[in-house]
Amino acid sequence: MQSNRSFIVQLQILTKRMVFRVIRRPLAELPNLIISAFFLFVYDGALGGVFGGAASGTPFDFAKGNFVNFILPVSIVSASLSGAASGIYLVEDIESGVFKRYQSMPISRWAIILAPMNVGAFRVLVQSSLILGIGKFIGADPAVGNIGFLIVLSLAFIWGMGFAGYSVAAGVKSGSSQGAQAATFLFFPAIFLAPTFVPREALKGWLETAAAYNPTTYVIESMRSVMVDGWELDVLFRGYLSAGIFAAITLTFAVISARKATEKA
Amino acid sequence: MLAVDVKNIKKTFISKKDTVEAVKDVSFQVKQGEIFGLLGPNGAGKSTTILMLTTLLSITEGNASILGIDVATKDKEVREKIGVALQDTGIDNLLTGRELFFTTCRLWGYSKKDSEVRTNELLDLVGLIEAADRRVKTYSGGMKRRLDLGLSLVHSPEILFLDEPTTGLDPGSRRVLWDEIKRLRDSGVTVILTTQYLEEADELADRIAIIDEGLVVAEGTSDELKASIGGDVITFAFDSDDDLENAKNILSNTVQEKNELRLTVEDGASRIPGYLKDLTGQGVEVSSVSANKPTLDDVFLEVTGYRLEGSEESPTPDEKSER
Repeated sequence: MQSNRSFIVQLQILTKRMVFRVIRRPLAELPNLIISAFFLFVYDGALGGVFGGAASGTPFDFAKGNFVNFILPVSIVSASLSGAASGIYLVEDIESGVFKRYQSMPISRWAIILAPMNVGAFRVLVQSSLILGIGKFIGADPAVGNIGFLIVLSLAFIWGMGFAGYSVAAGVKSGSSQGAQAATFLFFPAIFLAPTFVPREALKGWLETAAAYNPTTYVIESMRSVMVDGWELDVLFRGYLSAGIFAAITLTFAVISARKATEKA
Repeated sequence: MLAVDVKNIKKTFISKKDTVEAVKDVSFQVKQGEIFGLLGPNGAGKSTTILMLTTLLSITEGNASILGIDVATKDKEVREKIGVALQDTGIDNLLTGRELFFTTCRLWGYSKKDSEVRTNELLDLVGLIEAADRRVKTYSGGMKRRLDLGLSLVHSPEILFLDEPTTGLDPGSRRVLWDEIKRLRDSGVTVILTTQYLEEADELADRIAIIDEGLVVAEGTSDELKASIGGDVITFAFDSDDDLENAKNILSNTVQEKNELRLTVEDGASRIPGYLKDLTGQGVEVSSVSANKPTLDDVFLEVTGYRLEGSEESPTPDEKSER
């Protein structure tokens, strides 16, 4: 008997197994989705009245009459954190001995490591799409048309994969799924040290400085540009660049950590 | 060709804090179609040896080959030939038994159709047909072990490594697994298993290597090992420490085990009166005495100085008495 030699087929089989795991634990999917939707409803409810249509003609009209367009990227960035589940899935396999079982078979180590990341990516796409759907339902209307939703989704995907890499690295380094879970607390500085509720120009002091160094800022601004302002290619470019660099760094870190952790002692 | 040929392998773990020699010097050979048992207590180096032979740990020194294939340099080829069921069963509790078999079959290269056929064969083989569509988290310990065994058989390996396959199982489940392992051996599969149960080694293994503190201290068939003691085992028990100490001075070549002294001699029953005469003549009170044919337990005590398992009175490895 020869093992399945195709890396792609191995990855497919292992990804399918991971999808089964996700489906079998539907409640685990809810918290991040509910928090993201909660942000959208609460922020729109609390601030939409002030910075929405009522602000038209005032200096506070940064949402150009539609606060859902302005606040939706914050919820999307929140939803994209669902990619962090990748690290938890991987470490669960290491903890349970499933990883070692696969290692004792002649299959690619990288297929074993990439499968949870695939599922993390899938999770980001599903959760971000659902939040976009809710946003559209309550009035989101991208300034560049419906293609704006796809741009926002693509940015969320890259950003989410960055978090996936980060969680895999943190999980493998800590050696426990709790470690991977705890590492997602990065979410708070990432999302709140950024122009979350108002444009960056309205921030002041240390928060303005912190936001300038926070890559989340450029991702949110990039999403907002297509939702609120229209085509601003330089802003869009900065968003993709920030998300891309973040993902490249964390995924590299994840690969190095995973390789070290799974090497023969 | 030998199924497994292990020559002077060593495993040293080096960390910033300390260096641990988990396996100091282990050598043995396993013929095709036999059950070979590695018997020893926790921490003796059994599992580390298995991890090295199954390519999951590197070998610090020495050589090992599986069916003539070098373990250190040809790990992928080795993995094609072996099935592995480790101590910590790597089983996904969220999947059903059927899904686990199917996934593993697919990873071993079976087509979807063949995977379904093979899955049913293996479910039947390990007696899990009725539980096939239940999630594994609902399985009992024994069912999980049988599932684990079945998963290691998906690709019909020539050599099967089982690391403490029955640890934690009730006697009934243990017996079921033993029968399955014997059946595999009878079908031509070579089985290398580790165990800390003397009864298991005695019942299952065609040959046994006793491992203690990273070294093979004895090797042979169960009968050979028992015969190596040479005679019968006489056990003297004492109520007082003073009697025990005095008896140690009177009798030579004894092994102490708590309040007992054990002596291995030819034709033990006929020599008991003489020993009792010597002891009572010098005022030593013996509370009981018996003579028995040696067991694997006696062999273990003889070669390591302590008992592997059993009664609470048994000393632990740390409490070895000087012989």
